[in-house]
Amino acid sequence: MFRFATKESPRLKRLRSISLFQDLSVRELVIVDLLLHERRYLAGEVVFDAGEDGQGIYFTLDGRIGIFHPGHSNTPLAELGGGSFFGELALLDDSPRMAQARALDDSTLAVMFRGEFVGLLQTHALIASKISLQLARHLGQRLRSISLPQPQPQEVVA
Amino acid sequence: MSPVVRPFPRQPRAAGPLVWACILGTTCLLLFLFQKILWLVVPFILALIIYYALLPAVLRLVLAGYSVTAGASLVCFGAFLLLGGALGLAAPWIAAHAVSWNEWGGRYLAGGVGFVLGSLSSLENSFEFLAQAHLTDSVRKGISDFSANFVSRNLAGAVMLAAAWLPSLLLAPFLAFFFLRDGRRFKKFIIHAVPNAFLERTLYLLDEVDRTARMYFTGLLKLTLLDTLTLALGLWALGISAPFLLGLVTAVLAWVPYVGSILGCAVVVLVAATDFPGNPGMAYGAIGLFILVRLLDDFFFMPMTVGRSLHLHPLLTVIMIFVGGAVAGISGLMLVLPLLGVVMVLGETVGQVVNDPRLQARHAHARRLRHAAVTGDLL
Repeated sequence: MFRFATKESPRLKRLRSISLFQDLSVRELVIVDLLLHERRYLAGEVVFDAGEDGQGIYFTLDGRIGIFHPGHSNTPLAELGGGSFFGELALLDDSPRMAQARALDDSTLAVMFRGEFVGLLQTHALIASKISLQLARHLGQRLRSISLPQPQPQEVVA
Repeated sequence: MSPVVRPFPRQPRAAGPLVWACILGTTCLLLFLFQKILWLVVPFILALIIYYALLPAVLRLVLAGYSVTAGASLVCFGAFLLLGGALGLAAPWIAAHAVSWNEWGGRYLAGGVGFVLGSLSSLENSFEFLAQAHLTDSVRKGISDFSANFVSRNLAGAVMLAAAWLPSLLLAPFLAFFFLRDGRRFKKFIIHAVPNAFLERTLYLLDEVDRTARMYFTGLLKLTLLDTLTLALGLWALGISAPFLLGLVTAVLAWVPYVGSILGCAVVVLVAATDFPGNPGMAYGAIGLFILVRLLDDFFFMPMTVGRSLHLHPLLTVIMIFVGGAVAGISGLMLVLPLLGVVMVLGETVGQVVNDPRLQARHAHARRLRHAAVTGDLL
């Protein structure tokens, strides 16, 4: 009677659409959901600036987020749609943000704070292995996209 | 119009003298206010200790598939059942040994009184003016009067004190349960009210407050362990009976600054004087050891454990302990360090937010966007 229902709620389905969480079970998703803070951003609103201390990883639930290189161009380096995530680099190596993130449309983001993200990876081995694998895949894809010539300057992540 | 993206120096500045003055002033003000509502502050702190002790178990149950509410309920129920069971099992044993404890108490008290009177007698033999003042007789009479009337004089006050504090102390487990069950929800509630521009700083702030409190209570337990081991080692070297138990009791008593330390010292002296009735040097040795451990505790162990957990400079730690005592007495001594730790994190973060023009500009921009979004069709 104290156990969770194993059925996925719409909220959990939305979380599962995020590539980092796609391999997590319902229970694991519920644990992750406890750590997420949902935020709404209007088009044009800055999510974070380049040079800031990175304190959180962001997951795009709705809308589009543009990643801008500071001082170079007003054209986004990348456009991130629903199901994508960003801000993970500053979180992983404890470095300042490399670029600015700004909402291109009205967007809904979920944020997980650094301490909670690291705590999750340290205390939940199974979740940690699944997230780490997805994170490695994501970084691998990004490396490939940088090393191979791209036909388009912008990447749209659906 | 597309916004211009420009590089901006984003590293937060360290807190300046004005921010630090505000932090120290706020700490003193809060200490003064908290001593007025000690009946609420003490159970709150006890609840925090229980919270940090039980939180890992709740998280483990959540991982095993229980909801946070179910996990908190099960862990709290289990913990209080365990405590109640232990007390229930111990009750017959305590009742059976109560008489012999009473005898032990009388024996150690007599040993302590004997030591005090013996010491005074030696002093009278050495100093003529003390002999003329009949100091030993006066003290003997004073002790006799005090012990004869002690119960009748203080029983009513003690009962009233217990009656006043019991309900507020019973609040501690109740609070701890709700911290465990709703702590995360409360955190989300607080964060929900924070503007987007200040989100990361606020998340950092809340995490730091949580970390500071956790580290403080962990530091306090480490301090107790260090005190226990140092005292036990010294008492063992002096040949006093039950050194570890005595060390533990005095280390726990030291949680209450000054009063607890004096009480702990008295216990050690009573035991030493009773174990070695014809050798007052042992009791003096125990007093010397106790003073040494207190000095080590105040100037080395506390800055190394509790002070370090709060990332405070050892000098500031020591000074603030004295300031806490001056502002709010014993409660100030107990509360000053955790309070300073929390106020320090709050003050530094607020200082960074207020002194960051970029964050302020982003917040103003977001407000303009929201205003435009809700008033677009009103023109």
